Parts: sequence; structure tokens; C-alpha cells
Amino acid sequence: MRLAPPRTRIDANKIKVKDRAGLRKIRISQISVMVLLIVGLLSVGCDYNSHMTTWGTAGPVAEKQALLFNVLLWVMVVVFVLVEGALLYAAIKFRRKPGDGLPKQVHGNTPLEITWTVIPTILILALGVWSVQTLFELDKPPAGSDVLEVTATGHQWWFEFEYPDADGNGTFVTTANELKVPVGRPVHVNLLSDDVLHSFWIPRLAGKVDMVPTRNNHLWFQADESGVFHGQCAELCGRAHALMKFRVQAVPEDEYLAWVAGFGKEPVLSAQAAQGQLVFNGEGGCVVCHSATGPDSPATVDARVQGFLSGLESPVAPGPNLTDLATRGTFAAGILDLNRENLRKWITDPESVKSGNHMSGRATVYQTPDGTTKLNQKQVSNVIEYLLSLK
Amino acid sequence: MATITEVLERPANATGLWSWITTVDHKRIGILYGVTAFIFFLVAGIEAGIIRMQLAVPENGLVSPDVYNQMFTMHATAMIFMAIMPLSAAFFNFIIPLAIGARDVAFPRLNAFSYWSFLFGALLIHSSFLFQQAPDAGWFSYAPLTEEPYSIGKGIDFWALGLQVLGVASLAAAFNFVVTIINLRAPGMTMMRMPLFVWMTFVTSILLVLAFPVITVGLIELTMDRSFGAHFFNTVGGGDPLMWQHLFWIFGHPEVYILILPAMGIVSEVIPTFSRKPLFGYPVVVFSGIVIGIMGWAVWSHHMFTVGLGPVANSVFTITTMLIAVPTGVKIFNWIGTMWGGSIKLNTCMLYAIGFVALFIVGGLSGVSHAVSPSDAQQQDTYYIVAHIHYVLFGGAIFGIFTGIYYWFPKVTGKLLDETLGKINFWLLFIGMNITFFPMHYLGMNGMPRRIYTYSTEYGWDFLNLLATAGYFVLFVGILVFIVNVVISYKNGKEAGHDPWDAPGLEWTISSPPPSYNFAQVPQVLGQDHYWIVKRQAEAAGNPITKPEPFVDPETIHMPNPSYWPIFTAFGLLLLAVSFLIEFPWQYLKFPIAIPAGIIIFIGVMGWSFEPAAPEGHHGDDHSDGGHH
Repeated sequence: MRLAPPRTRIDANKIKVKDRAGLRKIRISQISVMVLLIVGLLSVGCDYNSHMTTWGTAGPVAEKQALLFNVLLWVMVVVFVLVEGALLYAAIKFRRKPGDGLPKQVHGNTPLEITWTVIPTILILALGVWSVQTLFELDKPPAGSDVLEVTATGHQWWFEFEYPDADGNGTFVTTANELKVPVGRPVHVNLLSDDVLHSFWIPRLAGKVDMVPTRNNHLWFQADESGVFHGQCAELCGRAHALMKFRVQAVPEDEYLAWVAGFGKEPVLSAQAAQGQLVFNGEGGCVVCHSATGPDSPATVDARVQGFLSGLESPVAPGPNLTDLATRGTFAAGILDLNRENLRKWITDPESVKSGNHMSGRATVYQTPDGTTKLNQKQVSNVIEYLLSLK
Repeated sequence: MATITEVLERPANATGLWSWITTVDHKRIGILYGVTAFIFFLVAGIEAGIIRMQLAVPENGLVSPDVYNQMFTMHATAMIFMAIMPLSAAFFNFIIPLAIGARDVAFPRLNAFSYWSFLFGALLIHSSFLFQQAPDAGWFSYAPLTEEPYSIGKGIDFWALGLQVLGVASLAAAFNFVVTIINLRAPGMTMMRMPLFVWMTFVTSILLVLAFPVITVGLIELTMDRSFGAHFFNTVGGGDPLMWQHLFWIFGHPEVYILILPAMGIVSEVIPTFSRKPLFGYPVVVFSGIVIGIMGWAVWSHHMFTVGLGPVANSVFTITTMLIAVPTGVKIFNWIGTMWGGSIKLNTCMLYAIGFVALFIVGGLSGVSHAVSPSDAQQQDTYYIVAHIHYVLFGGAIFGIFTGIYYWFPKVTGKLLDETLGKINFWLLFIGMNITFFPMHYLGMNGMPRRIYTYSTEYGWDFLNLLATAGYFVLFVGILVFIVNVVISYKNGKEAGHDPWDAPGLEWTISSPPPSYNFAQVPQVLGQDHYWIVKRQAEAAGNPITKPEPFVDPETIHMPNPSYWPIFTAFGLLLLAVSFLIEFPWQYLKFPIAIPAGIIIFIGVMGWSFEPAAPEGHHGDDHSDGGHH
């Protein structure tokens, strides 16, 4: 990789032997200062703590991907310093001074050409072999491990999660935008899409894989520590692409199983919440797209998808399943914290929160001149009460 | 058909607006390409500014999400197809015939047709803004977002049809340069004596000829889907969205080399000139360019590492993509090898060339990190990739083009660009580019996806985004300084003389600006770096060359004549594209526009074919176009 016709050949006529040693010393110290500077500069922008950073890995998949990148990065830093150093050195050292004649007309140097072709090739093939190994290793969860199967479906602009067998006893769980997983267990995610391309990405746990309609993609990840890990759609999917987020909540196994066991249990409704349920199922028409009482039959799911595909005139489309909504920390694809105030904002005027969303675009209850809901404030309060009782 | 050609006499204006509209002179077409493309470069630059200002602070409301999506779609589309490619084409046009010792390109009228199709295609896409229906699905326009029912409005149609017209322009130009370079070289100019810029133009043109048909097919299928309800890519009807991605990137990756190889060619000429040393390892540099051109076809799926092609396909494309770094690296080593031991003049032009190499190294290295598919899984569709492509296309292609402008401006205008303004221009662009794009590496690795119009403050992306936006304004001022430099230097610049750089190329043997006929006598090429050989021999003989080749009376030289037909035919092409865009409530106008459009193209081609070589009363023999002798 080192670029150089031997230095001595060029410098020999001009610099005495003693000076050359001094020059070399200076050069070494200059280079080490430069390397330190570059390394310092390189690390200054890396964020190890935020929710989306690829540096703060919390599971084996992201760790292996980060390790590969880090090794490549250091190789790149070394090559960068050597090559940019040679470029800079040549530009300064060989600049024209008054009275300079025509330099020696060198046309090339075959051994040198071969060297700087072969060395990078070997380096790259070595890295390539390791890359391919990692690639196959990360394709599937380790054999024999106790894998949790999940299906994630991308919708404009939210994520649907289904657990075909959430607890090993065949319990089916459907949720949206928050994926609860047990710590330390590999999760195998089947990736689907009902409409356009999306991409499933949790930077701290695993690199992304696209959700492609007509294809059944998959990835796996494992959270080695409990906590909330943020994810975001990474493939342009239309107007609200920037607002299509989700979270992975890694919790201890028993907490996870308790959540599964409680899923879809009849919620306890206050009088106001019961009023809200009536609006939800009746005048509000929420139930046309949102279920709140456990998973839906395949027929209902299909009818919603077909409604969506048949165009904007249809008021029917798949909406996030709201069963046990009150156990989630956020809603509206991870952009709002779940609380009374935010729910009011969202239910009253979704367009102001998430421009282009299909709820205000299609639902009958939002077909008003300014796009706000036809429901009155009392009805909205009741619906909020109902939603917050879903646990 | 003779009647058609009798209706329209062959134009003969040598000055004025009509002379530019009917010109077939490669030098004038080169200038038209350059000026038009630079205007689109500015438009795309303004779009970039809107993107950067929207992202300057979190949760900004400067533009709506729709407008934001239009901005990044049009920024990339315009930069690639209407700025960088035609700026390269400007150099192809102006320089190639001069550099190989020819009177003009092989097909001068086809050359004019290329320019007009380019202009019309570019205007067609941009006219979508007038209808507030600019394309908004990204420059890659992934299906099924581009299909019913996800994309309503005409934006994608404007995009597909405009690109189709631009594709015709590129294909015509590419064929023209392949034929020109193969057939019109002066005697003695063997392939392995051709300047590197000619070589890279040749490779680029071949890539264009092979790559554009692929996107043409894709665009036709997309238009079929959208206009006639076909289901090539529409998943609702059982189409395959990945087929679009394959078609797009089989075109799209060679396209990357179409953008960068001309810049590499320019730099490979400038570095030897200002180092006063021949290019180090000329055959290696040539062959590495060819190898890049060939390997560019075997790497397209690295754009698709995350679409789920499986580990086997991803392994293959990981290895091929990593390997393409080798010929690229070899070029860089050879440029440094050329400078090594040279006598380097650090003027603006050389600074740009060195800047190109320095920035391209960064883009090349970051490229290796997403050549590796597991590592790319974290980088794909993040700002890390945005940083990478801007190091390659801004630091690479645009810096290469600026190198070319500073190098050949004296040849084109006869005036030198101002050095003081030039250096201010260079440093502003160099520093501004690093402030804008280097932070994006971090943004990407810190988890910021591309193409999001807003971000929340909790992820810690605020400062780096603000920094990138600040960098944009440095770039903005840098470009303003460049424009001022061009205007001032064009009006009052120092006279360049015919050979201001003591350059080796044939184009420097003739006066600046070159006479309409280029070379009075067909030059006899003595070797690589022909003019250096001539000058050194003359110096050795004691009478150094100080003057360009003497002028001759242009009347004594047969040159291709101006023609109305290229612009006429290109206009028919534009009308045909427009007819596809017409919709309710004007749908009954579709055929009344399409049919005359077809007739115009037919008449244009016929008129073109049967056009007499010279207007009445003008001497010159009656053989076809070509200007060759």
C-alpha cells in the first residue's frame, strides 16, 4: 500500500546524510501528530449514547456488523494517512521553484505498478473472505437457539407486529409500532409489506433489511440488555417517511411472558370509557380500520388491505391494532408519547401531526373542510378514556 | 423527398441567434452544452440549499414534506442528468475533435440534435414545477411508490418521459463520440497515443451506449404501467418491484462511472501538464480505466444489499465491489507517481486536480466500507451514503469539471481565468465541501436515515446538521466567486495565447479560441504528448515555438454547414413526450399532439437525410456530413 519510489533516490543528491536522519525524525513526529489529529477528529462525531446510533451496539448482530466496519475503518485510516500523506508531500516537495528546468521524464515503473496493484488486491481479498464469513454467519440465528418468531409488516406509515406463537403455547399476539421481546433470546423477524417498500432498521440491534411487497424477507436480532431501542423506516416510502418509527422493548423473559398472558384480556372500563367504546365502534367509525379487542380474522385483514388498494375513495385501510394500547409508551408510529394531551391532538387533527396520514385522508369522520374530526370534544374525551383503559 | 429540403434552404448565418440555433460546429455546441448545464447545476444547487435549510434545525417547517421530496428528487436528477453529464459532454464536444486533430465530430448534425434533445428533456422535467407536480419518488424512483395508487399526479410521468428524451440525447452523443474517436484521429494518433481524456471519453461513451438502453427499457415499462395500466412493477397487479431495481442499477452503476471517468480523464491530463512530466504508467492508467468500465457492470447489486437477495448474491457483489477499488487505487497511485519528482506549478487548475485526488480518496475509501454487505446493512440509506456519493460526485466529478474549466477556459475564450479569484474559489469549495459533507459520515453512523424531511432532537443530530448547512453557504459563496471570475476574466482577462500551460495536447498547437476549421492542415502526430515532442525538438533546434499554427482563409476549407433539422427533429421528440403527459380534462388532445409529433420527427429525419451538403451557391462537394477529409 505504501506509495514510494525509495525516498533516498530522490533526496540523495540534495540532502546530506546527517540532515536526512533529522528530516526523517521530523517526518516521523509530524506523521504521528497527523495520525493523532485524524484519529481525534474521527472520533469526535461518533455518538455512543443516543437511541439511534450504530456505535452503541446491544446485541450480537449489530456487534458483528460494527466490528467489521471498525476494522475496515482502521484500514481506511491507515490507507488515508499514507496516500493523502504522499499526495501532500509530493505537492509540497516537488513544487516548481524559479529557475527549475525540465524534470526527469519518467514514464513509469513496472515493478512499482505491480506492487501497488497486488498489495491492495491481497488486502481486499483477505477482508473479503472475512466479510463473506460474517455475511453467512449473520444470515440465520445460531442453530439450536430458542428463537422467537415475529412477523413485521410495513404500512404507509407504521409497523405492524404479529407473534404467531408468542409464548410457545400457540398464543397469537398482534401489536403495532412497539415490539416487545425477551432479553437474550434471538428474534427472527419475517418482513412483509402491504403497500410500498419500507425498511426495518434498529441501529443498536441490527442493520436494515427492506420490506418488499411480493417478497418474504427476514432478519434476526437479539437484545443482550433490557431497554428501549429505536428503529426507523430507512427506505423512502412517501410523504410521511420521516415519521415512520418504531421501538423495540427488550424486557426480562418473565415480564415478556406476563405481557403475552395479559394480551387481549377484557379491559376494565369506567362509565366514560364505555361511552368512548360506543363512539369507537359507532359514530367515530374507528373500528373500521382499528381493532381493539385482540387479533383480527384474516378476512378482516384482507378486506382492509383491499380497501386501501382500491384507492382514496375507500374509507377502509389497515390501521394499527389498538389492543392493549395503554401498555405502550408511544403511538402514531413512535412519534408521540402516549398521554391524554397527545391523543387529543392526534384524534382531533391528525394531519397537523403527520401530514399525509391515511386516517385523515380516508376516514369518514375526518371529511371536513379543515380535516379535523367531526366528533365533538366530549366524544373525543370519551374515546381517549377508552383508549387509555385498553390494558 | 427533395421537395422537403427545397422548402427549407440550408441556413448560412455565421453570427446572431440563428447561427447558434442552427450550428453544427462542435465548439459552439460544446459552449451551448457547458452554459446550459451550468445553469442546471445552479438550479440543482438551489434545490440542495432548500434541503439543507430545511434540515438546519430539528422539526423545521420551512417546506412541506411533499416539497422536500420533490427537492431531493430533482436535486439528484438534475445534478446527474442535467449538470454533470452534460458538463462532461461540453468537454467532449469542445475538446475531443481538437485533441485528436479532427475538423469536427463524425456526425455534426447528430451532435446538434443531441444538444437540443438534452435541452428539451431538461426543460420538460423542470416544467413539472409549473404544474406543481414535480417528481417526488427519488432519483431512483423505486416501484411501487411510483405506481398507482401510491403516486397520483404526473410527477413520475414528467420524470420518466424527460429522462427518456435525455436518454436519446445521451445515446446519440455517445455513438457520435465512439465513431469520432475510432475514425477521425489524425495520422500518427494511434490508440495508445491518445490523451487520457480522449481515452476516458471513449470508455464513457461505450458505457453510455450499453447502459442507456437498460434504463430506456425500464422507463418504457414504467410509462406502460402508468399510462396503459400494465403491471411490470406494480405489485397490486402482480408485478415485480425488484425488477425495476435491477434494471435501474444495471444502468445506474455504470452511470456512476459515466459521471466520474471523464473527470478522471481531465485530471490525468492536467497533472502531467503542471508537473511537466508525462503521465506515470500511461498504459496502466488507460487499462485501469477500461477495467473500471468493465467491472462497473458486475457490481450493481451492491445498491441492493438490503433488499433480501440472500447471502450468496450478496457475497458475490461484495467481492466484485471491493475489487473495483483496485483499479481505482491504481489510478490514484499513478497520479501521485506523476507528481513525484515533477516540477509542480500550484495554480488554481492544479489545485483543483490535487483537490480532486484528495477528495476522491475519501470517497473511494468510504466506498469500501459499504462494499461489504454486513457493514453496509448499517449504512445503506443513511447519511453515510450521502457523504460518500458527494465525496465521489462533488469532490470527484465536480472538482474534475472545475479542473477542466480552469484548464481549457483559455482555449475556449482566449482569456485566462483570474488566479486570485480562482484560488479563493478553490479554497471556498474545498473547505465548504468538507464542512458540508464530512459531518454526514457521522450523521449516518449515528443513525440518521436519508430522505427524511424532519428529525427529532432526541437523537443528537442537530449540531452536525447545522454544520452541514453552514458548509452549504460556504459552497454557495465559492460558486458565486467562480461566476464572478468567469465574467470578469471573459471581459478583461489576460490574453492566454495559444499555449499558456506549455501543454502536451494537440489542441494547444492552434490559436485560442480555435478557428472554425480547427486545424489548417491535418497534423501528423509524433507520439504521446505530441506537442511536447514538437516543442522540445524545436527548442533543441534553436528556434522555440512561440506562435500557433497560422490562420488560413476558412473559405478554402470544406466544413459541415448549419442545419435546421436537428432542432426541428428534437422538437418533435419533445412533443411526443408531452402528448403522454396530457390528461383529464384535456385527454382528447393526446392524439392531436402525438400524431403531428410523429410527423415532425419523420419530416425532420427525412429532411436531414436528404439535405444537400452546402447551400445554393456555396462551393464544396456534395458528400455527406463529417468534415473529415
